Amino acid sequence: MTETGPSAYERFINGIIPENPTLRQLLGMCPTLAVTNGVKPALTMAGATAFVLICANVITSLMRKLIKPHLRILVFTLTIATFVTIADRFLQAFMPEMSKVLGPYVPLIIVNCIIISRCEICGSKQGVKVALADAVGMSLGFLVALLSISIPRELLGSGTLLGLRVLPEAWPNWGVQVLPPGAFLTLGLILAFVNWYSARRAAKV
Amino acid sequence: MEYLAQLMLIAVAAAIINNFVLHYFVGICPFIGVSRKVDMAFGMGCAVTFVISIAAFLSWTFTYFIGRPGAPLTTFIWRQVAPGSTAVIDLSILNYIIFIFVIASSVQFVEMYLRRFFPPLFKAFGIFLPLITTNCAILFACLEIMKHVAGASDPAQIWGLDKALTLAIFGGIGFAIAITIMAGIREELDGCDVPKPLRGAGITLLVAGILAMAFMGFTGVDRGLETLILGK
Amino acid sequence: MSDQTSRAGFFRQSWLVLLLALSFGAALAAVEISFAPRIRENKRNATVSQIPELVPGAVKEASKEQSVGGALVYGAYDAEGRQVGWVVPAAGQGFADRIELLIGLDPTASTITGIYVLDQKETPGLGDYITSKERFRRYFEGQPAAAPLKVVKREVAPRSGEIRALTGATISSDAVTAIVNQRVRELGAALAQARQGSES
Repeated sequence: MTETGPSAYERFINGIIPENPTLRQLLGMCPTLAVTNGVKPALTMAGATAFVLICANVITSLMRKLIKPHLRILVFTLTIATFVTIADRFLQAFMPEMSKVLGPYVPLIIVNCIIISRCEICGSKQGVKVALADAVGMSLGFLVALLSISIPRELLGSGTLLGLRVLPEAWPNWGVQVLPPGAFLTLGLILAFVNWYSARRAAKV
Repeated sequence: MEYLAQLMLIAVAAAIINNFVLHYFVGICPFIGVSRKVDMAFGMGCAVTFVISIAAFLSWTFTYFIGRPGAPLTTFIWRQVAPGSTAVIDLSILNYIIFIFVIASSVQFVEMYLRRFFPPLFKAFGIFLPLITTNCAILFACLEIMKHVAGASDPAQIWGLDKALTLAIFGGIGFAIAITIMAGIREELDGCDVPKPLRGAGITLLVAGILAMAFMGFTGVDRGLETLILGK
Repeated sequence: MSDQTSRAGFFRQSWLVLLLALSFGAALAAVEISFAPRIRENKRNATVSQIPELVPGAVKEASKEQSVGGALVYGAYDAEGRQVGWVVPAAGQGFADRIELLIGLDPTASTITGIYVLDQKETPGLGDYITSKERFRRYFEGQPAAAPLKVVKREVAPRSGEIRALTGATISSDAVTAIVNQRVRELGAALAQARQGSES
């Protein structure tokens, strides 16, 4: 397999905003909606996903010349499932409160489309440095997406950020933001904003 | 009577009150991607229910007999290998890997079944059928079953196959309900003038938010039903 | 392709998968061995760390897990090893989902010394007052365990056998009280049976 494709730097920058996995590619929406009612769970989820994405991408890249094409999904899935198990156990051991808050969404990283698609598009085709840059870029992009939703949700829904009181006590908490409908509404509006902004930029060019 | 009431409560909770899509946020990708037409959406809902049932059956079997602390099969094998040992064997760390492979196999099985007996349906699905493997709803059902089988601290509370299958099948039905409602709404929206930035995923999510609010009205229904049926 | 049909072809195709399975299996075994004690400790701590708060005079380290009436309970002991009470896990259906809580009792299980809500999924901002409002926990302190507690919607006197429902969280307050009543009754019966068994 040849090493053609975007360079490491290009992959890195692409992952953060232009090809943001959640806001542009619409991948990995399940955790984006589920864990963003507070900034702390969102950061923990982003960290866990980053760990799995980076490890899976790097290992896939190391093995890329050995994987038979028709077995590649099997290999990706096995790798991802193993690292997710490790991440889940780590959280249970060292961050039990966060593990309880995140609940079943940590093992759901296994079916997070971001990781499998990155392994398929980049990890199995390019070298370790490029794969690493791609994984880090995509992880940062995912973090940006999660923060862009969790900050308004926690601020409007509880008046706090990371558990610290930001808005005055008199702020009437917009309860729906902490509940499922708030997640859908916030993500829908943010997606609309992203679409509007990129349409404007494309029109200017 | 109490037993049936328990099963019915799990079913109603899984399908409506704690709807997989609108309450637990699993199965969002097909929810946004496949909900354009009602017949496609309904077909996807049925396929997912089918896959979830098979996957839940296999996952429960693995978790109950192998993947929990003190499971019968592992304890039996360990006694043969090291008789007299009282160590509790816990293979639950393998659960996630086994679940995802069970799901992939279930999807393969359903693919073969559809290709043999319903070829036009198989063609209509196209790429979406293998994508059911990455549907969070199925893995979520398996995780819920694992929580109640391997994670139950009280042996009397461990879920049997009946409760596990009830949760899975009615969770799938809830997914089908949500995706079909969404498809019906989107078919109507096709005739409306949706602002350009909102077209596609944006408006779908906003509608989903309103749907989720509507479904929130069902909270507490299971408790009311329980009181009604059991006369507590 | 003969590679995909012959027996040796099978291993040539899948040697990588088998190798990965073995190495990942070894990695997971290592993770299990190193993390499992900590995880067990965390789970135990979630309950045991509340014992000093629930039963006055209890020391966390001296708590003993026991089985009373077929269910797990914690005996609370003070620094000298004398039993100062019980801490009993209880669970039941709340408004939205299951509520799990701990009940503190005195050694004879005749007075409730306090409750602590471990896990609940009630409506944020309304039902979850059972966790966030300190005064709800205070209602349970010192209540007699002989008769079921009643939930009322007016001011209550302490230790009167009545719990005041939280505004906006009536059903959740009802649920918590019902869970407490049932568990206390079960424990009382189980302890009485154990006492009879040891006397006869």
